Amino acid sequence: MTQRPSGPLANRRSHIARVALLFACAALLAVSSGCSSSGAASEELLVTGSTTLLPIAEISGEMFMEQNPEAKILVSGLGSSAGIESVAKGSSDIGTSSRDLKEEEEESLGLVDTPVAYDAIAVIVNPSNPVSALTKEQIRLIFDGTITNWAEVGGEDRSIGLVNRDEASGTREAFYKIVMEKAPFDRSAAVLPGTGQVRAVVAQAPGAVGYISLGFVDDQVKMLDVDGVTPSEATVIDGTYPVQRVLHFFTVGEPDGLAAAFIDFVLSDDVQSGLVQEAGFTPIGRKD
Amino acid sequence: MTTESQDMQEQAAEEDRARLSEYGALRKGQTGELRLMSRSTYFREAALKNLFLLCAFVAVMGVLLIIAFVGVRGYPIFGLEGFFGFLAGREWNPTDEIFGILPLVYGSFVVMAGALVIGTPLAVGTAIFLSEIASPRIRSVVRPAVELLAGIPSVIYGFFGLMILRPIIGRLTDGLGFGAVTAWLILAIMIVPTIATLAEDALRSIPNGIREASYAMGATTWQTIRKVLVPAAGIGIIDAIILGMGRAIGETMAVLMVVGNAPIFPASVSDPIATLTTQIVMDMPYAAGDHRTALFGMAIVLFVISMFLVAMVRFLSRFQTRLDGR
Repeated sequence: MTQRPSGPLANRRSHIARVALLFACAALLAVSSGCSSSGAASEELLVTGSTTLLPIAEISGEMFMEQNPEAKILVSGLGSSAGIESVAKGSSDIGTSSRDLKEEEEESLGLVDTPVAYDAIAVIVNPSNPVSALTKEQIRLIFDGTITNWAEVGGEDRSIGLVNRDEASGTREAFYKIVMEKAPFDRSAAVLPGTGQVRAVVAQAPGAVGYISLGFVDDQVKMLDVDGVTPSEATVIDGTYPVQRVLHFFTVGEPDGLAAAFIDFVLSDDVQSGLVQEAGFTPIGRKD
Repeated sequence: MTTESQDMQEQAAEEDRARLSEYGALRKGQTGELRLMSRSTYFREAALKNLFLLCAFVAVMGVLLIIAFVGVRGYPIFGLEGFFGFLAGREWNPTDEIFGILPLVYGSFVVMAGALVIGTPLAVGTAIFLSEIASPRIRSVVRPAVELLAGIPSVIYGFFGLMILRPIIGRLTDGLGFGAVTAWLILAIMIVPTIATLAEDALRSIPNGIREASYAMGATTWQTIRKVLVPAAGIGIIDAIILGMGRAIGETMAVLMVVGNAPIFPASVSDPIATLTTQIVMDMPYAAGDHRTALFGMAIVLFVISMFLVAMVRFLSRFQTRLDGR
């Protein structure tokens, strides 16, 4: 290696060096131009909170930025309580939440609530199942494993096949809070990792019962009335269907400026009947 | 990597040429030193040797890094739950921070054992058919078909199991159809190519003279297979079955879709069950803290199981060489 000759090799070396230099320059140029384009002055909107709402906030944020290139919307999901706290403290502009305000929060924080979607959950059974209505209490007893045969709730003599969601599921979380009232699920239930799978299995198995977001119900499965109320967009909006929760955007005072523009965008028909429904939520009705 | 080695080769060739020009007319045979190969050939050989060394090194490093990573991330769970608390704990309930993996280990072994019971006769039968009975023409159809089974992505097996097999099982057992039985049937088909191809190799490596000797003694085909060939290929077939075990216990996606994923001791083979691998997949997206550590702990357990299986295969083949040598 030490007695490397000069001449052609040295030439070749400097050639390589030149090419490398060229590349380095090009890379530098690319980086600097990238920086300058994103460094332009822009308005920022911080949206923090519910992980349930994260997909809606994130994707509608991207869509909004595409239409309004000067705006910058930063979305993070830390949980509903963190969202409420951070908007109240002023460290973010919009706090997203999948729960209502607690009484003391309502009194002390002075937040304005804009409902953006409903998360309603339908309890589904096989279409061949004669049972068509249950009470919330009965559903809880079914899912905690106390009731194991359809005959106990007025159906055929057939064992109940429980279909549950995995623990990462927001639907499971909501169902656990609203229907189960935080009583543990029967652990021998089948645990499936997706809404589509729950629906497919319930559609095929005569004794199965499961729960999915209302937006995903189709005619392969039968929805049950809960406490005598048929789940539908209307009963969700008027609040009579019990297995639902409202998804909120909270602001300090009435939203204005960029926050107002973004909230209007999320409430627009485009987002509501597109993104919101695709995400498995029920669009918020225009409550005028 | 290829460009690097090409570069090196080119460089070596160029260096040679440069030397030749520098010292003037240096032709073959005039060097005064005895060369077995030209310098460029020498460099090329050395470069290739190092390249292959690098390939092997990357593979070994991969294994070592994974072991180190999984070990470091998972080890603390044994301190947290206690060695037996973790391995022999009867409840897996991450919500309440209870991490006992016995139901999952149980699930893994139940699923694997059933798949072996169904799959092994199928696979060994296929191997015997291919090596001893089938005519070359039939073999040319059956063998690619078996090999094709190995090439089907496991998610497709799972999908087939979920959409077709599970409803049938469900109807027969009056349930959902999730459970060990469904996994057995799917896995049994999945391990057939692994076992069949290796067992066939073992059978075909038996010298023909042994077959001829058996037939010359008046043995029928069945007698030859049962009394001569299968015993002669015995250890090879057992190796094949052990590797099939490894495949069955490690399989994740197909099993995930049909077992129902209930981390408990099920009441029957047609009730939902979970295995180590499926539980890792189910929990990984949301696990944090000790729960995540517990999942890495489960990975360690899987590692130990598969290392044990590989060690067993190596031990048996050494045993075989010793038998052959005698």
